[in-house]
This record gives sequence, structure tokens and C-alpha cells, in this order.
Amino acid sequence: MSFGELGAVALGIYLLILATVAGIARRSRRDESPSDHFLAGRDLGVFVLFLTLYATAYSGNSLLGYPGRAYQAGFSFVMSTGFMMAIIVVFHMIAPKLRLLADTEGFVTPGDWVRHRFAGEGASRVLSIAIGILMVIALANFLLAQLQAMGTITGRVTDGLVPHAAGVIGLALMILFYESLGGMRAVAWTDSGQGLLMLFGLAGLFSWLMSDAGGLANVTTRVMEVRPEAVAVPDAQTCANWFSTVALLGFGSVLYPQAIQRIFAARSPQVLKRSFALMTFMPLTTTLVVTLIGIAAIARIDPAAGVASDEVMPWLLAEWAAGGGLRMFAAILVFLGALAAIMSTADSCLLSLGSLAAGDILGRPRGDAATTRLGKWIAAGILFAMVPFAIQGDLTLWRLIELKMELLIQCVPAFLVALHWRGLRAAPTLAGLALGTAIAAAGTLAGWKTVLGIHVGMIGLVFNLLISVGFSLRAVRRGSASS
Amino acid sequence: MNGRARLRRFLFVCIAALYVISVPWYRSSSAPVEIVLGLPDWVTVAIGCYVLVACLNSAAWLLQETPQDAPQKVAAEAASEASGKNP
Repeated sequence: MSFGELGAVALGIYLLILATVAGIARRSRRDESPSDHFLAGRDLGVFVLFLTLYATAYSGNSLLGYPGRAYQAGFSFVMSTGFMMAIIVVFHMIAPKLRLLADTEGFVTPGDWVRHRFAGEGASRVLSIAIGILMVIALANFLLAQLQAMGTITGRVTDGLVPHAAGVIGLALMILFYESLGGMRAVAWTDSGQGLLMLFGLAGLFSWLMSDAGGLANVTTRVMEVRPEAVAVPDAQTCANWFSTVALLGFGSVLYPQAIQRIFAARSPQVLKRSFALMTFMPLTTTLVVTLIGIAAIARIDPAAGVASDEVMPWLLAEWAAGGGLRMFAAILVFLGALAAIMSTADSCLLSLGSLAAGDILGRPRGDAATTRLGKWIAAGILFAMVPFAIQGDLTLWRLIELKMELLIQCVPAFLVALHWRGLRAAPTLAGLALGTAIAAAGTLAGWKTVLGIHVGMIGLVFNLLISVGFSLRAVRRGSASS
Repeated sequence: MNGRARLRRFLFVCIAALYVISVPWYRSSSAPVEIVLGLPDWVTVAIGCYVLVACLNSAAWLLQETPQDAPQKVAAEAASEASGKNP
């Protein structure tokens, strides 16, 4: 059996397992409420919560985008381990307090917090809708990255038997099927298996690369010979970009709606803290490993071959599989692990998209079964609107990550500041959000990704904070002076 | 502030310091690079910092107080949070 045929069979088996899990999750539902569909009845235990957080955080970006970025940037991309870890550090600022309130107030979406926090203020509803729209745009962007990566991986694992476009459409339909059938329960359960598959797959590929090269020191020496700048100490601008990226992704990622909803879905605060205590080690076993895989590719891939950054990982796997026998089988498992990671992120995006659009933007009641149905339809609509862009696919995965983070990070005042400072008001927060988003969007459209290494989204956040905190302080002082 | 909270605050200060050390801003970009533990020396320092961050952050999460650890204190915080939502 050829590599492509074996890959197609393995893909078929994998999809069959996903469909079965969705069926079991469907039978396990308690009711048709948004809380049961979108949050699995708030009953996720440590193991499932940890693995679903893991599989959601490590996506197509991590498995295809990060090795490609490490291949381009060299050792300085070790910053990725730092920013993935920063996410779990920044979660201290949001998860415990938000979880406590979610329990008492029954939050389902991030907008529920915004409406609760700014209740009674005129700008509260508009702020909640604005944040909802920003999060939907960021999620749609994230979904696009996953769809694009799904097409790439399917084409590779089946050696072209399933073309890119068919992979995008077919797997999008599959995700829609199990997500709408089993909701968060199906997503979390499939995420658990997908997380394990990804972990073992990466370990296998890394071991092969290192043993084949004769160890890590040999890889570094070879990279020093073929591309000395990839090993050199980073210059001042790269160091500034390192700090900026850690802050951008650390603060931006905790505002992923799907991450916030997993905080709501945990069985208890104890479960949540134990899951995060485990999650903090995962950048060392995943991000660092994919970074070193990308570095090893510098030593293996001839620059004349012109391999595109997102193609680095598939190129390495194809080379691994060319050894035949057990290597071919192991390479297919890694391909499936990558596909699993991508699908687990895409399904989480889709689930959050539905609940955000129905609850936060359209303002449908959170205890209503009709909200669940509407959310499913909207998610399906957005998914299929993204498919043509994913088939076209002309942005690198790393650029897609940066774009969404620059938007998401503008929600920092409404969540991180609002949770810790009662003085923050809705109208200044809305004004800051609008200004920060305008700066980030204008910078992106003008082609200024960074200024002296600092992301335009971070510059937008500084102005956002100045407006939201500055004008709230003035309002608080006026209030205390008049009383 | 109780002992647990003080210890967590200390851990966060250490984590912040490790993040500052992990970025080689204090080294010249033309400085010679040595291989330490199979990696360029500045990469080994960065990874060492991140390993320590993981350990300290994990400890900080396990030290986080939950309603099961301190039911009265956390309930009081939640009540104050809910009542003080509109300053």
C-alpha cells in the first residue's frame, strides 16, 4: 500500500471515530440549553479540561506555522516557548475571578461578563456588541487559518488523493457535524484524543530528527555553517519584538472567547487551577519541540529547494515517510496528530462563534434553546463563508496569528482591567477600544506590522489604555467631588 | 495578605524577572556564540528561564485559593465583587 493510500485509510478511520464520539456526546446531553451545548453543562473534569485547553491552544498554527517561522527566523523563535507560557501566567489575572462570577451569575459568553460588569451604564450594550464583533472577527480569522491548514495537511497525508479544496470542504463539514450534534461535550472529548495524538506524534518526529542528525549539538553546528545569522545573538530590534510578541500573545490569547468559555465550563475552581498547573509545562513539550523541529529543518532543507514556511513541517514528514515501513506509519500518525490539532482548534472556534453571535451580538437570551439553534446556524454560515478564502490561502499562518491578536488585545481593558479596578467605566472603555482597534487596523492596512519591533496592536493598546483608564479616572474624580 | 498570597506575589516577581533575563537584550549582537548543552548559549539561557517559569507558575496555580480552600474569604470576595460592579 502506498503512502497516500495508507494515509487515506487512516484519515477515514479517524473521521469515523470522531463521528462516533459525537454520537455518544449527543446521547449524554442533559437538555437543549446554551449552557449544556456551549459549556458541556459546566462539568469538565481535570483530565478532559486540561487536554481540551491543550488541544485548543496548540493548533495548526503551532504545528505548521511555528516550525515554518523557526525555519525563517532561526533560534530567536525560541520566544514562542516564552509567549505560550506567558498565556498561562496572564490567566492568573482573569481565570480565578471570572470563574467565581461565572458560577454565581451563570455566564455563557464573554459578553455576559461585560453586560454584568457595566450594568446600568448607557454604553454597556454597545460595548458588549463591539467586543462581540471584535471577537467574532478574530475567531473567523483563526478559523480561516485552521481551514487553510486542514487543506494542506489532507493533501499531504493522502499524497494528493484528496485535493486541498476537497480537504477544506470535507473536514469543514465533518467539524460542523460533530460540533452541532454534540456541542462542547463532543468538542472536549475529541480534543482529548486529539491532544494525545499530537503529543505522541511530535515526540516521534523530534526523536527521529535528532537521532538522524546525530544530536542537538550537531544540528546547531550545521545551522551555524549554513546560516550563521540564525544562531547569532538577536539585535536590539529583534529583542524588542521578542518582548512585544510575549506581551501580544500572552495578553491576547487569554481573551480567546473559546478559552474564556473553557473557564466557564470547568467543573470547579479546583479543577481549573489543577488544569492550569499542568498546562504551564506544555510549551516545553510542544512549542519548544516544534521550534527545534523548524531549526533542524534549516540544516536539512537546501535553500535552493524554495520550500515555503508553512510547507516545512509537511516536507519533513514526507522525508521521514520516504524511509518506508514503520517510519511511513509513524509519519502518518504525526500528520493525523497535526490534523487533529487543527480540527480541535477549528471546532472550538466554531462553537464560540455561534454562542458569541447569537448571545452577544444579537442579544438572544442565554437560557433559551432557540439561542442554541440560532448559534449553530450562524456558525455554519460563517464557516462556509470562510471556505473560499481557505481554498485560495495566500497568507502565512504566522501572519494570521498576529492579525487576530492585534484585534483581541484591544479587549484587555474590558476584561483584565475591569476585573481588578471598579473605577473603569463603559463609555471610556468603548472609546479606548475603538481607538486601539483603529490604530491596529490602520497599521495593518498600511503595511506597518511593527514599529521598531513593537507590534502596531501593542501601540494601539497603549492608546486604548490611556483613553479608557484616563477618562474613567476623571469620571471617578468628578463623581467623588459631586458627592 | 496571608502567607499563601505573599508567596504567590513573590513567585510572580520571580517570573517577571525570568522573562526579562530570557531575552538577550543585554548582549551585543556581534558577541561570539558558544554551544552549551547542544544549543547557542543565549538560547540555553532562554530555555532555562522558561523551565523555571513553568515550575514557578505551576506552584503559583496550586497556591491559588479556591472556595474549597477558604470558603468564607472567597465568598466574601465574590459578594463584594457583585455588589461593587457599579462604582
